[in-house]
Amino acid sequence: MSLRVLEAGPLTTVQDLGRAGQLRVGIPPSGPIDRDAFVLGNRLVDNPDGAAGLECTLMGPGLEFSDARWVAVTGAEAPVTLDGAEMPRWASFPVRAGGILKIGAARAGVRVYLAVSGGLATPAALGSRATYLRGGLGGMNGRAIRKGDVLPLGTRPGQARERRVRAERIPGHGGEPDIATILGPQADRFSAAGIAALFEGPYEMLPQSDRMGARFKGPRIEHTRGHDIISDGIALGAIQVIGDGQPIVLLVDRQTAGGYTKIGAVCSYEIGRVGQMKPGQKLRFKQVSVSEAHAGLTARRAALDSAIA
Amino acid sequence: MIYPEPRLLPCGDLAVSVELADEINREVNARVLALEYLIQQKGIAGVTETLPTYRSLLVYYDPAVIGADELHATLRALVAEARPEVLPPARIVEVPCAYGGELGFELETAAGKLGLAPEEMVRLHAGADYHVYFVGFTPGLPYMTGMPERLNIPRLVNPRTKTPAGSVAIGGVQCCIYSVESPGGFWVLGRTPVRLYDPAAADPILLRAGDQVRFRSIERAEYDAIAAEVAAGRFRPRVTEAR
Repeated sequence: MSLRVLEAGPLTTVQDLGRAGQLRVGIPPSGPIDRDAFVLGNRLVDNPDGAAGLECTLMGPGLEFSDARWVAVTGAEAPVTLDGAEMPRWASFPVRAGGILKIGAARAGVRVYLAVSGGLATPAALGSRATYLRGGLGGMNGRAIRKGDVLPLGTRPGQARERRVRAERIPGHGGEPDIATILGPQADRFSAAGIAALFEGPYEMLPQSDRMGARFKGPRIEHTRGHDIISDGIALGAIQVIGDGQPIVLLVDRQTAGGYTKIGAVCSYEIGRVGQMKPGQKLRFKQVSVSEAHAGLTARRAALDSAIA
Repeated sequence: MIYPEPRLLPCGDLAVSVELADEINREVNARVLALEYLIQQKGIAGVTETLPTYRSLLVYYDPAVIGADELHATLRALVAEARPEVLPPARIVEVPCAYGGELGFELETAAGKLGLAPEEMVRLHAGADYHVYFVGFTPGLPYMTGMPERLNIPRLVNPRTKTPAGSVAIGGVQCCIYSVESPGGFWVLGRTPVRLYDPAAADPILLRAGDQVRFRSIERAEYDAIAAEVAAGRFRPRVTEAR
């Protein structure tokens, strides 16, 4: 029971919901950047939320199925074909044994997710199948998948059937999103003008962005007394600002600690939207309080629970 | 100085940084590690993960289980109890290190800069006890101090783009061991054949926050012998308990 990789795509990795408890030894969680899209994929094929699937970047793979499974493709907008016939996105459909599934180039958004009933069964490392590329950990021998790889599948698929995400719940990936952001922990190291610049924006995504961090260019964010701090922990979504006054949003494969000022952090439930932006696309950081963010998180979790028809 | 009251700094919607001081010293770090230890011992519902650094503890939580106000109150109360005495005895980990030559390619230049003979520099470096404040940046990389003041050296003006894994290096008052090949601004004095991060191992990480490290100066032949043991998965570093 496996998937044979006919074409890998430029950066396709095995991910589950990530590796917990290893930050204190310097290992980031990894996992899907667009968590909601990943979880919906699993729910569409009756998998647990944390079952391992594939995260594809800009262009998806071609895969041959050794036995019949249900699949769902979510995330960025990319064409999906099964044995040459176009298939729906954000919906489950069956694949016969010997079927060939192809995911094409993303037209909007960056990261496409493939969920397969039963999940991928590559070996777990430190309790997770998520691929951490820089650390060579998890996934397919710690690396992105390659042409010729054979990805083992789980032996216990659930009771999949035809399901789809409600049309109004399918996210778009264009435009200039407002991204909920909390000030801190080193907001006091920035001038009032610097903080105003952050929330005025807009900031344009730069091509030098990856699973570690998304780099942006926009109005200069002014420090008051330098950008060095005594190294401390870096949370998911932390907005690091170095000497050039430009923000870097740190993502799932981030360094766990560092010695640069962090003016704030993007809320956890906005990480997926940031990770789906294409270079050249712009965003605005929108200030929220911690309690507003918690209300936003609750609403997002509720929306996720009612997204599938 | 240690703040009279800890600063609780929001780090997004799922984490808060408990900052105890604005300096790097053993006392402050011991309190950070003690706070983490107390959180582990008491198992606070809703706290999902902790990450200690020099002077602060990053605490991850699930706001659906514990609200920010309750979490902050709980953490403030624990900070008051977080004294170094609550910590279990530290581990002492012996790290063999081949100094100088092609593995320690900056030993001679660094020694020259400090006005020391290379052998004296090795003696001073290997003779010290090092404290691991925390582990991070890259997997398994220890942030350490403990060197005699005589070895205090400014960091490289032009950082290297690649430093081999296992490189033992110094900069300022700090000593580190590169856990994976990475850029670096510290002077490389030697290299250990031991893997600080081994993704293929069941337990991939050698050092943890609070550990003590002692370097043992080895010759190239022993380096190669230990490297072979490490490659075969047979090498076990010497670990003892302090106190």
